[in-house]
Amino acid sequence: MTESDLSRVGAPLPAPALSVRGLGPAEVTVADLTAGGGALLLFVSEECPTSAMALRRLGPLCGAWQEAGLTATAVFEDPLEVAVRVARRLGWQAGVAAEDPPYRTSRAYRLVSVPTAVLVDRGGTIAGTVTGWDHAALVALIGRAGALLGAELAIPEATEPRLKPGCSSKAAIDPELAAAISVQAGTDDVEEMFERGWTDGLPVVPPTPDRVEAMLGSCDGRVSLGPVPPDMGEATLERVAACAVLAGCRPAYFPVVVAAAQAALDPAFNLHGQAVTTQPAGQLVVVNGPVREAIGLNSGMGALGPGFRANLTIGRALRLLVTLTGGGMPGRLDRATQGQMGKVGFCVAENEEVSPWEPLHVERGFRAGQSVVTLIGSDAPLSISDHRSRTPEDLAWILAWAAASAWSTNWWPLEEPSVFVICPEHAAMFRAAGWTKQQLRRFMFDAVHKPAAELRRGETTPFVHAAGPAAQVPKWASPESIVLIVAGGEAGRYSAVLGPCTGMGSQIVSREVGSPWPLTT
Amino acid sequence: MAADYVSPFDERVRAAEPLAPRPASISGRRVMLLDIRKNRGAEFLDRIETLLQAAGAATARTTKEIFSKPAALALIGDITGQADLVVEALAD
Repeated sequence: MTESDLSRVGAPLPAPALSVRGLGPAEVTVADLTAGGGALLLFVSEECPTSAMALRRLGPLCGAWQEAGLTATAVFEDPLEVAVRVARRLGWQAGVAAEDPPYRTSRAYRLVSVPTAVLVDRGGTIAGTVTGWDHAALVALIGRAGALLGAELAIPEATEPRLKPGCSSKAAIDPELAAAISVQAGTDDVEEMFERGWTDGLPVVPPTPDRVEAMLGSCDGRVSLGPVPPDMGEATLERVAACAVLAGCRPAYFPVVVAAAQAALDPAFNLHGQAVTTQPAGQLVVVNGPVREAIGLNSGMGALGPGFRANLTIGRALRLLVTLTGGGMPGRLDRATQGQMGKVGFCVAENEEVSPWEPLHVERGFRAGQSVVTLIGSDAPLSISDHRSRTPEDLAWILAWAAASAWSTNWWPLEEPSVFVICPEHAAMFRAAGWTKQQLRRFMFDAVHKPAAELRRGETTPFVHAAGPAAQVPKWASPESIVLIVAGGEAGRYSAVLGPCTGMGSQIVSREVGSPWPLTT
Repeated sequence: MAADYVSPFDERVRAAEPLAPRPASISGRRVMLLDIRKNRGAEFLDRIETLLQAAGAATARTTKEIFSKPAALALIGDITGQADLVVEALAD
């Protein structure tokens, strides 16, 4: 697209009045914006990549323009909350305004596409417009602004692409269609959450002040759990509660959500790496102790699947905290190549009552009566059927070798944990044989070895390359890389293994639930 | 709908960090090559180092703890104290 100088079409056109919302209580007017000498209106939209590019490239120049008398304002065809967030993310250092459907301002300015830059002189006359990203035309427009102001204004660098078409302005959509599209957003609060981007792609519960207050209970919403990677938004308890509401949590779940957030924000967990990696890793939340029964967490039939509010919403609340407060939005800072459904949220309660062994939290140094959340960076679960093994050795061998391709077929040994979720029937076989957890772990570790020569194909590890061809290489660096928990229903012989998040230096982190509680300043 | 909601976002506006001024030439400049410990990143830096030295730059090497974590402030301090320019390599 090119510069279209409206002033050449007949008489100079007065800049139409603005019908937008700004950040302050005062009305945003053309007269105020041009009071310093001139105004540059940059019409943009969140969904438009060219708009993002324009904001990113022009944003750093706005401060100097302002000093010279040119006031820049980004006018978003989006809700104001979205506008503020996008502007911040893209480094736009000037005014922000937003217009609602039916986009009267965009219509008044005859917008066809965004971004469109409109220069308005001190007299309120349109001095030029540029549609799309057109570096040369924008330089000319800024030059014209400089001439009006008697100043030399900074221009954007001539980096590629110099020409990039924009996206359709929402004002250019047929009014009936625009009305049909916007009617939901105007009347339905769940749709409004989508408009605002306050979602992981599924419908959410709108975080009204009443709901957030109920979620917080006696906690002080100003208390911060720290910055959330990757964009380092501050996890105030109010925002954690907002995420818990959005996820669909009941207030009774909140102490578990907070403990999960505390564990996830421990630097040892390296959430930063997990949040932005191309790996599919999610944050597995394992819950132990009395809180499971108290809030209705399911550790029995379908323990890894759907059907239970506490399981599904606690994991989701943590992920929403990473995605929204932390800015780890898929396709943006979250660069996962494929991702996996566990990244929607994955919370598992251990079935301690049928387990023959000490539960995970006791293994990790807590007392059995404590309620504990344990965070593990994990891949999606792989189900392992075994209905035929008649000895614990055979069953352990089947379980262990199912994980032989975890992470990658020939990537041996794995330093990071593989999590085996043992079903009750499988656990019962080990119980009957008197196997301890340590025995099972040791057997599985010893079972899965291969000669280095067989692992030298495609992707493999430096360890394999350095080993002699006949050297026996284990799948795991040590038995401690095998995590064992018990969950599932009483019938059926399906266990599961969750591969690791690797290369991150991510450690397993546990936090006691509700200790202390409530959290206050 | 103009309902009042509690935002899950940190809405504070943070100014973008300005880019450092670009040098007209790298000849005579001290260039730190930062290996972030990504697989084969060192090989890439070897080649970059050769090219930089051929262009008259004085080079040095340093490494990050792990690629998946932000660089420690102490490391950033070391780099800014010892070099005019830094090249960070990503590979796989």
